[in-house]
Amino acid sequence: MTASTRGSKTTLRGSDHMALLEVENLEIAVSARGKLLPVVQGISFSVDDNETLGIVGESGCGKSLTSLAIMGLLGGTTVRITGGSIRFDGMDLLTLPEKDRRAIMGNRMAMIFQEPMTSLNPVYRIGDQIIENLRQHQSISNSAARDRVVELLTLVRIPSPSERIDSFPHQMSGGQRQRVMIAMALSCDPKLLIADEPTTALDVTVQKEVLDLMADLQKRMGTAIVLISHDLGVIAETCDKVAVMYRGRMAEAASTADLFAELAHPYTRGLLNSIPVVDRDVEWLEAIPGRVPTLEENLTGCAFHPRCALATELCASNVPATTEFKPGHSVQCHFAGKVAS
Amino acid sequence: MSEPLLRISDLKTHFQTKGAGLFGEKKVIKAVDGVSFDIAPGEVLSLVGESGCGKSTVGRTLTHLEKATSGTAQFEGQDFLAMAPAEFRPLRREIQMIFQDPFASLNPRLKIEQTLGEPLFIHGLCKTWDEARIMIAAILETVGMDPIVMTRHPHEFSGGQRQRIGIARVMILKPKLVIADEAVSALDVSIQAQVLNLIKKLQRDSGVSMLFISHDLGVVRHISDRVAVMFEGRIVEIGDKHQIFETPQHAYTRKLLGSIPRVTIGREVA
Amino acid sequence: MNAMNFLRNAFAGRKLATAGFIWLCLIALAAIIAPLIAPFDPLEIDPVGRLAEPGWPNLFGTDHFGRDTFSRAIYGARMTVIIGMGSVIVALVAGGAIGMLSAYFTRLGHFLMRGVDVLMAFPALLMALVLITLLERSVFNTILVIGIVYATTTARILYGMTLKLKGEVFVDAAICSGAGHTSILIRHILPNLVSPLLVQASFIFAFAQLQAAALDFLGLGLPPEVPSWGNMLSEERIYITRAPWLLIYPGMLIVLSVFSMNLVGDALRDSIDPRFKDDIAGV
Repeated sequence: MTASTRGSKTTLRGSDHMALLEVENLEIAVSARGKLLPVVQGISFSVDDNETLGIVGESGCGKSLTSLAIMGLLGGTTVRITGGSIRFDGMDLLTLPEKDRRAIMGNRMAMIFQEPMTSLNPVYRIGDQIIENLRQHQSISNSAARDRVVELLTLVRIPSPSERIDSFPHQMSGGQRQRVMIAMALSCDPKLLIADEPTTALDVTVQKEVLDLMADLQKRMGTAIVLISHDLGVIAETCDKVAVMYRGRMAEAASTADLFAELAHPYTRGLLNSIPVVDRDVEWLEAIPGRVPTLEENLTGCAFHPRCALATELCASNVPATTEFKPGHSVQCHFAGKVAS
Repeated sequence: MSEPLLRISDLKTHFQTKGAGLFGEKKVIKAVDGVSFDIAPGEVLSLVGESGCGKSTVGRTLTHLEKATSGTAQFEGQDFLAMAPAEFRPLRREIQMIFQDPFASLNPRLKIEQTLGEPLFIHGLCKTWDEARIMIAAILETVGMDPIVMTRHPHEFSGGQRQRIGIARVMILKPKLVIADEAVSALDVSIQAQVLNLIKKLQRDSGVSMLFISHDLGVVRHISDRVAVMFEGRIVEIGDKHQIFETPQHAYTRKLLGSIPRVTIGREVA
Repeated sequence: MNAMNFLRNAFAGRKLATAGFIWLCLIALAAIIAPLIAPFDPLEIDPVGRLAEPGWPNLFGTDHFGRDTFSRAIYGARMTVIIGMGSVIVALVAGGAIGMLSAYFTRLGHFLMRGVDVLMAFPALLMALVLITLLERSVFNTILVIGIVYATTTARILYGMTLKLKGEVFVDAAICSGAGHTSILIRHILPNLVSPLLVQASFIFAFAQLQAAALDFLGLGLPPEVPSWGNMLSEERIYITRAPWLLIYPGMLIVLSVFSMNLVGDALRDSIDPRFKDDIAGV
């Protein structure tokens, strides 16, 4: 399987073309011990129909919070959106009244999570759970809903769907449960699917099947997908565009082909070099020294500078602005494109 | 031909599940169902497979955390599976284990020095705390940490740091065989690289043998000399690293290798 | 030290619990310096001045023997503290040992915990009554009986917690280091049980008072000459219409003390939750 076929579909951002999902300068903060700590500090990205955007980053980068913010799942008082905008299909999600929000969630916008066991209610049959979602958003009879569920289960390649519809989550394997989650997410033909580490908890052979399924479904239904992962390999093989996040900021963003043709940000390069590859022998991995700073550690300048081989005093004091490294390829780095000698 | 350090013959570890209800049928889960392999001194053998294949159970059986159902395991020629706890204790110095979860493997109540000192005192490697602290400081430096950390508690450290401490706990005894049970799986990619490099360096410098258990083939390629592929409790293929990765014989091995997503940079496969 | 931080965090921002804690400290203080602050000898009888109303010099009035109620109340604090602490010690040691060892040694545990289950089927008071009738009335026996009653719940709680701790990865790691059973129990399991034990202690302290008062009221607990709040209620109950203050004061003291102990226990228990998850292995 090669990645070279991907990346040929890039969104051409004409000045009057609104992408399906447009996130601009999103800021999210967490209140802990009386202080407001910024977690996501101004990220912007967009996804269009029939397109897959990959958001890649390690723990602490804020990618999961971003996805929850888009879905409107950031409830409570501890985590708050403190700035920016999220526009879905032209609507400003952040100012949308609650009732309209709920009409969209699960309907035109859907999400699948990392742990399929905990996102499915263990005491209800899987068929009933999908039916519940269907009937929430559509006026449809119970028997019609059931038929639709069998259709969906067939679509996600669950064997014997008319029997499996009455199974409980614990009677299915991890891969099957994730497919059920996909079926539930797709039940109302959403225009946008957000998948937060959908295959991280799955075996590699099952992961391949699930990712193939998602690609196939996108081809058929034209769904826009936001795929969040820490696995660069998964991103490379499934996404059209990539956004690399580091500690709440967008280190680099480009089409997949452009990104992997030339990695502009030292973090992205470091990340790629850290991966032990299957097809080659490497004596020592080029690990990125140090670790991600904790939420409370206040930093001046570029968040990555303590770990960066190219860092200078400029990096320590000035947060780099987002620059256009190449057309369609944005970076936040004072030394974009430079390789450490 | 020197004697292998570890020789496993037809190891089986079966678990009994309680039957449903009063008279339900008890099911037997054959987690490990006839596994045999050798590890030579100074060699790294990886056990690779997907979830449920039994690789972790092999490791846990060898450290007596699970009871073997049948089969033999010899360490330096000595059969040790059937040993009583007291008899096995001295061997525990030679056979050590690195655990997967850096957050759960250190007792949160104990200071690092207490956790690292415990094995020293148990095996009589030192008599006083002063002696212990010298050894603890040395091993902490070896794993890349400042000896001052020994006075702190686990919750003050990140996942990668805790895993280094876990490695220190293992290496402080200078064992002959280290079983690494998914030792880097719970770490972020960039931290994983650091810890993998550390493990590789320690293994090279000390000549310790390793049984490296993992589901990640990339990691396995990086660290091993030989690889054993497990599926449903059995080894389906075992051989030299290059044989397995470049000319896999078994269909399952080929399926595994084919499923891994790869990054293509420019035109070449990374 | 961990315990100090734990206590400080427990009471931060909880005014009622802090007030309760202060009240308990006062009780403890009164118990210790009773001879210094009690205006009269609690056992001194004054038939002439019996059933006097609260005023001066008898702040809480006098009982039917003419004994000063205030002084008896102060000395009664001693019994409160002694019975409370005594019961806690018996319950935690007996119950804790049974619970912890039953969970750690599973075969022994199956046997022991069934016994505990049987005992738990009896209501606390009923069991206390049965036990106390087999023994003569004394301070020691009262403590013993109440302690046994609450040892059962303690055993149950520590059984569950030890089971969970037993499965923790760091216990596996200790086993791999070569640690034996004693070492694991003392170094790895027991320290993680201290906080829940502390919470249990505060609740048992409270319940012990109620049990003791109930036993005293029924004439089965402490010997009559020992001044305790429960005894005071018991002896003076027929005078409820003539001298209600004889019941109001000890009654109030019991209520306030039990309430305080419950508040403190709540505060301690709440502070164990998630915030301290790093401190206490998932307990």
